[in-house]
Amino acid sequence: MKRLLKVFRKKNHSRDITIVSGLPRSGTSMMMKMLEAGGLLPLTDNLRTADDDNPKGYYEFERVKKLVDGDNSWLAEAEGKVVKVISALLLYLPPAYTYRIIFMKRSMPEILASQKKMLVRRKEDADDTSDEEMAGLYMEHLQQVDAWVNSQPNIMRLDINFNELLEDPKPHIEMINKFLDGILDSEKAEAVIDPKLYRQRKK
Amino acid sequence: MFGSKIKIEKELLSKATQYAEKSGYSSVDEFISHLIEKEISRQDESLSEDKVKKRLQGLGYLS
Repeated sequence: MKRLLKVFRKKNHSRDITIVSGLPRSGTSMMMKMLEAGGLLPLTDNLRTADDDNPKGYYEFERVKKLVDGDNSWLAEAEGKVVKVISALLLYLPPAYTYRIIFMKRSMPEILASQKKMLVRRKEDADDTSDEEMAGLYMEHLQQVDAWVNSQPNIMRLDINFNELLEDPKPHIEMINKFLDGILDSEKAEAVIDPKLYRQRKK
Repeated sequence: MFGSKIKIEKELLSKATQYAEKSGYSSVDEFISHLIEKEISRQDESLSEDKVKKRLQGLGYLS
């Protein structure tokens, strides 16, 4: 019976596009890996391969960046799958689809510290924006994104705090599974969490 | 009010005065101050967006 229910839910869920979103370095790649392990099919192109910043891979799909230019035809491929779309690109999602967004939140000092390391590794010129200013800009950005997402009738969202998820995975994975209509293999999703990757933690 | 004065062409001032009256501003000074404030806020906003965009491009998340 449980098995039948799972199949029914899978069918019901099959046309929605699951999106993992948030600011860069907020735990989106780990969430993608968890969802993949839990049975969801990720839409990725593997162009951005694993490196020191994301040793388990980025789970990205390059064409997501083209949403800004109006290239959204690839979304048809994303139906029934999970794709990573950073917060700044959510506003370009067309209303023709139904989205379930898992929005990752993480402590801002950790995000900024991790982004800085990544900029250095990418040999990008560190921009001259201070952490304090960047935090303010990101908060403003997140408020705008929140307001937009919350006003879209075709979007369901679930916020997951990365720090709390690592502290106590079970209840969070339960919430995620409920949000996804119970299609997730929770045990397999939980097995992905690797606290060793949690390197920017600020005590 | 006792604020600083700025120079503006007569013809433009006349148009601004008419527009201010029509739009319900209490004076042309109030109308012009409002326009300047709005423009500064618009530019501040665009500067903020540019900074976020630059950061996301640096991280490889925007092209």
